[in-house]
Amino acid sequence: MHEFRVQVGPAAFRIGSTWKRPLDQVADLYRDYPTPDIPDYSVRLEAVSLLRRFIRPSVGINGDYMLPDAAPLPLAQALLASEMAMNLQMALGWRRHLLLHASAVEKDGKALMMTGASGSGKSTVAAMLGCKGWRFMGDEFVLLDLLTGDTVPFPRLISLKNDAIGAMQVTALDGRFGPLMPGTPKGDIRHLVPARDAIEAMAQSAKPALLLFPSFGFDPIVREILPSEVFIRLTQASTNYVALGEAGFTTLTRFIKTVPARAIDYRNGEEAEALVNQLWDELT
Amino acid sequence: MNESSDTPEKGLNSVATRRRALMLGAVTASAIVSVRPALAQSAASVMNCEIPVPGPHGSGMNIDSYGKLVPRDTPGSFAATGQKFTGEQVKAAMRGSSLPGTSYNQSQAYVNYIRRLQSGQSGFTCYASLQMSR
Amino acid sequence: MTRSQTPTFKAGQVDGLLVEPLDQMTLIYQRRSGVTHIVAEPIPEILAVMGNDFLSAEDVATRLASSFDLDDSNATAIVLARLEELASLGLVERRNA
Repeated sequence: MHEFRVQVGPAAFRIGSTWKRPLDQVADLYRDYPTPDIPDYSVRLEAVSLLRRFIRPSVGINGDYMLPDAAPLPLAQALLASEMAMNLQMALGWRRHLLLHASAVEKDGKALMMTGASGSGKSTVAAMLGCKGWRFMGDEFVLLDLLTGDTVPFPRLISLKNDAIGAMQVTALDGRFGPLMPGTPKGDIRHLVPARDAIEAMAQSAKPALLLFPSFGFDPIVREILPSEVFIRLTQASTNYVALGEAGFTTLTRFIKTVPARAIDYRNGEEAEALVNQLWDELT
Repeated sequence: MNESSDTPEKGLNSVATRRRALMLGAVTASAIVSVRPALAQSAASVMNCEIPVPGPHGSGMNIDSYGKLVPRDTPGSFAATGQKFTGEQVKAAMRGSSLPGTSYNQSQAYVNYIRRLQSGQSGFTCYASLQMSR
Repeated sequence: MTRSQTPTFKAGQVDGLLVEPLDQMTLIYQRRSGVTHIVAEPIPEILAVMGNDFLSAEDVATRLASSFDLDDSNATAIVLARLEELASLGLVERRNA
């Protein structure tokens, strides 16, 4: 079995694979990331059966933490399988921080966090801001330190979907992109390597300063959200809130009591950027 | 030790110290919501999943229009072979289109079966993730 | 219903609760179960007036009326429903007197 190791933020992964080519893709995209000596998690990209290793090969997702019902992906989408497998380890296994399903960018030591359902644009907006003077901290998971409450980066590859692919190819002109994977279960997917500063500073946390709930596709507007609603939404956006027990409660309540939160609607990247800058100046 | 109140008394005293009107609500209006683990939502975002119809617990059974497992010879029920549907196919079917390779009524019965899945049954995690991700 | 059949309830567990009043809602983290409850009026008020005593719903309603202006003549029935709800979650102890 072929092997590749990579450090993303505080998490160290070992990726094993039956096939060499997808691992080469992963290694190339993660080439600027540190190589850990001791992995926290192992994931494996394996043939579903001996037959499926050669004929219409499909990749089963396996690892230290697994879910039932996981469906294999075609070999052409092995890079996606690898990213899914690493995310699954975090979602199911991570206990060192409160893990939020959110994106984040940093400026002046302060973090802007965005959370919302798939399609809200939190990932695309973070990727875009990462090209416009902000440090990209993560587009899928953001970690909160249980002692300090700080925002800890998890800057894995940016996963661009459908229309966001074309938009980011224009915005990140010198960006390094992975292969276009059309027709995945999540639509067209193409990965983008975060900017150099995001990788170099991936051990540097920031003070959470603003939380936004973006919604893409509506006339631009800003709405206040009650702290209790923020709390409920964040418990649903967290994969380990319940598992962390009292530490999760104290970390999350401190967060909602100290970090201002707003919902924003926007129709395009320019509107999102304008709203973000306006709220950042007003509230942080 | 932290910013939270350490005892119910400390946290609750501030509630009771000032006299004001108290809205009691109605007998039937629950006033408590408890936070459940949100595994499902994260699962939706990080994995590709599928749901067998029926799962191993219903192997050899038919599915009636309410989604219940019934004996093979039950009138009006639909045969089911354990075919696996992806999360995306099920999501589309819940919005009104038919599952691949099924008639409209058969698809509705299958979707009702999926809606009745319970924790521990094959496909439940996948279905729960669809619920959470809208 | 005679007095002897009336259930009584007692709040306050040795392990304690973490309580965070927010806006219209209050967060209660229950150390014993590790469950977070998000509660609305009148739950925090009921817990606050109960102290460490076993009380009937009527007793609790009386205590509430001495601290608050109640909006409802049906207070005892509503308080009983809330106490049963709290008991089912282990937030108060229930005893059949």
